[in-house]
Amino acid sequence: MPSAIIQTTGLTRSYGDICALKPLDLTVPEGEWLSVMGHSGSGKSTLLNLLGGLDRPSDGSLRVGNEDLRGLTEDGLARFRREFVGIIFQQHHLVPYLTAVENVMLSQYFHSVPDEAEARFALERVGLGHRLKNRPGELSGGEQQRVCIARAIINSPKLLLGDEPTGNLDHQSTLMVMELLKELRAEERFTIVMVTHNPEVANWGDRTIHLDDGVLVREERKS
Amino acid sequence: MLSLPYKMIPFLLSWGAMLLVLLRRFSAHRRTAIAAGIVGYACGEAGAWLLFHLYSAEVAVGVMKSAVGVGFLLLWSAAVIAIYRSTGRGFPSWGESVGRTKVFAGGIALAAGVLMGGIVACRLAGTGSGTIACFVAALAAVVLAGAAFVVEEKLPDLFTVSPAGAMAALVSLLLFTSSSIIRLDLFAPLSMKVMKFAHDFVHQFFESMLIPDHLFIRSYLWGYIGLLFGKGVGFWGALAIWFIPVLLILLSVNLERLPPVAHIRQGAKRRKMVAAAIENRRLRLVVPALSCVVFSLAVYRSTFPAVEYWDPKPVPVTAAANGEIVIPKKGEVDLEDGKLHKFLYRQNGNQARFMAVMTPEGKLTVVLDACAICKPDGYGQAEGSVVCYYCKTLIPMDTVGKPGGCNPVPVPFTEKEDGVHLDAVALVNTWTTTVQSTTRVKEEGK
Amino acid sequence: MNKRRWLLHMVLRALAHRRGRTILLLAVLAMASSLTTALGLVSLSMGKRVAEEIRKYGANVVIMPEKARLTVGSGGLNFGEISEPVYLSQRQVEDVLARSGMRAERSLHLRGALRLQGGDIPVEGVDFTQIRRLFPWWQITGGWPAAGEAVVGRDLATRYRMKPGDLLELAAPQKVVRLRVAGIVATGGEEDGLLFMGLPELQDALGLNGNVTLVRLLVTSDGGGLGQKVSVLQGLLPGAKVSEVRQIARTSEGLLAKVKLLMILVTTVVLISAGSSVTGTMSTTVLERSKEIGLMKAMGGTRWEVLMLFSAEAALMGIAGGIAGYLLGSGIAQFITRTVFAASSEMIPWFICVSVGASFFLALLGSLGPMVSVFKLDPVRSLRGE
Repeated sequence: MPSAIIQTTGLTRSYGDICALKPLDLTVPEGEWLSVMGHSGSGKSTLLNLLGGLDRPSDGSLRVGNEDLRGLTEDGLARFRREFVGIIFQQHHLVPYLTAVENVMLSQYFHSVPDEAEARFALERVGLGHRLKNRPGELSGGEQQRVCIARAIINSPKLLLGDEPTGNLDHQSTLMVMELLKELRAEERFTIVMVTHNPEVANWGDRTIHLDDGVLVREERKS
Repeated sequence: MLSLPYKMIPFLLSWGAMLLVLLRRFSAHRRTAIAAGIVGYACGEAGAWLLFHLYSAEVAVGVMKSAVGVGFLLLWSAAVIAIYRSTGRGFPSWGESVGRTKVFAGGIALAAGVLMGGIVACRLAGTGSGTIACFVAALAAVVLAGAAFVVEEKLPDLFTVSPAGAMAALVSLLLFTSSSIIRLDLFAPLSMKVMKFAHDFVHQFFESMLIPDHLFIRSYLWGYIGLLFGKGVGFWGALAIWFIPVLLILLSVNLERLPPVAHIRQGAKRRKMVAAAIENRRLRLVVPALSCVVFSLAVYRSTFPAVEYWDPKPVPVTAAANGEIVIPKKGEVDLEDGKLHKFLYRQNGNQARFMAVMTPEGKLTVVLDACAICKPDGYGQAEGSVVCYYCKTLIPMDTVGKPGGCNPVPVPFTEKEDGVHLDAVALVNTWTTTVQSTTRVKEEGK
Repeated sequence: MNKRRWLLHMVLRALAHRRGRTILLLAVLAMASSLTTALGLVSLSMGKRVAEEIRKYGANVVIMPEKARLTVGSGGLNFGEISEPVYLSQRQVEDVLARSGMRAERSLHLRGALRLQGGDIPVEGVDFTQIRRLFPWWQITGGWPAAGEAVVGRDLATRYRMKPGDLLELAAPQKVVRLRVAGIVATGGEEDGLLFMGLPELQDALGLNGNVTLVRLLVTSDGGGLGQKVSVLQGLLPGAKVSEVRQIARTSEGLLAKVKLLMILVTTVVLISAGSSVTGTMSTTVLERSKEIGLMKAMGGTRWEVLMLFSAEAALMGIAGGIAGYLLGSGIAQFITRTVFAASSEMIPWFICVSVGASFFLALLGSLGPMVSVFKLDPVRSLRGE
């Protein structure tokens, strides 16, 4: 039985009167690929932000890795994010004035020191060896998402968070990205938590949880 | 004028800082270091006090001064070793292991304590304070040691000190404290030495080259050679000697190799190690950088000493019709109060500044307010001696009135019942020849 | 790549990305810094110059005939032309001086024109021993003249190609004067355009025996009663005007003060408006780049690290603007001193520290508000695009 990388009990997040996440108990074992499904406004992004240390819970306990995220300061959370978490966004969020390689190096810079050779290698690994010096504007959506993946995994995170990573991609690019994630997971053995509303994408995971109005309503495990 | 306890604050603070550095450096032997430091301090203070009372102030101060000087020389060697090691060349391994022993830690702490205690004792003796003051100072030092012991524990572990960095900190603090005692100050004598050396060197060197008509020396070159005779040479040269060791130590820390990381497969871990090593190295720069600041403070204190000199405004005097200047013993000033009294005689555009003083032996003396070798910047009186403002040489009161060196030039006079009588013409002549020759000496290279 | 170099690289990339805005900001900063520089340079170099001129003005009292008009123009301390020839009686002045019992060095001047090679040149008759005492700053190339010799101003000498040793033939209304040039004088003042000869010789040549146009006095004022002495002299010399030279110099000082005041006002206004435009531009930039900031924070940059990245941009612009401002400001200072004071200001190399410092702090101060919002920005909300 692998140890749990994420453990929440009674995790709650409310914005004023609106309760985005009702008390949630969730345990994710190390190395699992968890898909989170739900309609927009169901609290799945809120959950992701909490897990990634970008947001603080209103109540409940939240342990990721060996850290109690509620006990960390603002800078402590930043340090946790840089060493423990990689995030892939739906909008990619690449810095427009930096080349692909420099976008990856930016992540290295905040983590420790920039290392161009390593960043280059990471891009080659996601199949972008020929697009190193291109700016994000010159890349297709799928290519941008692969830069985003390279950036997310460059610091060898234990936890990879995906916020609808395929939401803006066509079918073929989606397949490519999912295939890539699967390959990388096999090599690096990180845990994936991926928010999506596409059942096909969710199906790539080992387990899928369904959120509705901030409540876990259903859980299914791939056999 | 501040009272004595306030004036001791820089000394005690330096002592505290010194202990912090010692404790951090020898973190494996904290108790040994602190105990040795306190013992050393007590011994140093007692030893200096004994020297003062068994022999004379000259001996005590001389011993302390040479001890601090030796410390500075040791810093130089530490700096050279540090820079040598940073180039990656091997260094005998016994050096490393000795540096880690308890005996070494204790020894260094003891030496630092002895020096610090001695300096404090010199300061207290200089103001004529008694045994009680010494005792209070020792007590304060012990209290501070306790405080340092507690504070050091609270400092983040990230701060580390390299051996050479610790040395730089210790020596800088010692020089800082000693610079506030004019008799112990090292910077002013150092700059004098450098200037004299430059003079001698240029003389010897160029005389052997048969100057001024030598083929290789063009006239404009004399402009540059003249620079070597300027007043600046001593100061800048001494500044270089003063700061080079600590700068070398800074450089050596900066040149330290990063740990080998090639064997780590995972990029993130490798980079993390590199970043941590760089961070570490940067933190190790803190202590030498602070020492650099302390060294500058020492120079400042030496150049603008905070010691108040007794320096009265010259009283204008006139000569009688027979060309005789008479200064009454108990007139406007009391000549026999043991203090320095300055007078100014002016006539026909000529002037002469002179002083009258009662030496400790009880003899009245009249001397010029200038010496035979320095620019006539005059003298002040402090701590049982007079000091030449130009070269900061201290002349014991007993020897005032005797010619030679930087002693004020004696003036012929006769002592009578009513006061001191001197001949105005002779006075002006002595002044003029003295001042002319010293001014010429300073400019002969130009 | 080294961390610091990477930071610089990123900052440069970011600045180049928003080229237009960067250039605008640089221009604003350079302008503000250049005005500060110009103000500083003008007040430094001109203040020193005016003080020097006052100090070196050996004579502190002038006696002029009542009708001689005194104009003080852009030339600083130049005396204007005399509207019609009016003269003082040499004897009367000397009598009065003797009677007043004042200890005063004096120098008598007679100004006139003589014809040289078909053109009139201004000539001044003086007593050279008096000149040497009262105007110690005269720089003579050649030697001081003996009887029958003259000293020529530098500009005049250049114009007529005279050099020491030359023989001149000057035509006066009645007779011809033959003089040998003994030396060339350079003072940087009106003397450079004059020819100086012995006073009696000129009086003789012009037929104005016993007349002078101007008397300069160096009154030793023991006890600050110069004004009082001037009024005593004025009372004794009804047909003349006695004035303190200090008054003349004061005009220059006053002009300098006015120019400085004007520049301080302009600089203040420019600094304030430059500061607010820096704030405005930086706010827009920060707003536009809020997603980027959020991303950096999400990637694990602490608030301080992100703040540093953006402050480095402002600082870099500040330094660049300061260097440009120094060059520009020196130009402006040169222009002002040329046109207003007819003098050239010097380049002061260390002043670049002031220019760069001004621009640097302006840039940082102006972006203080935007930087606070960078610091506070919540990554979740900015990434969501709120």
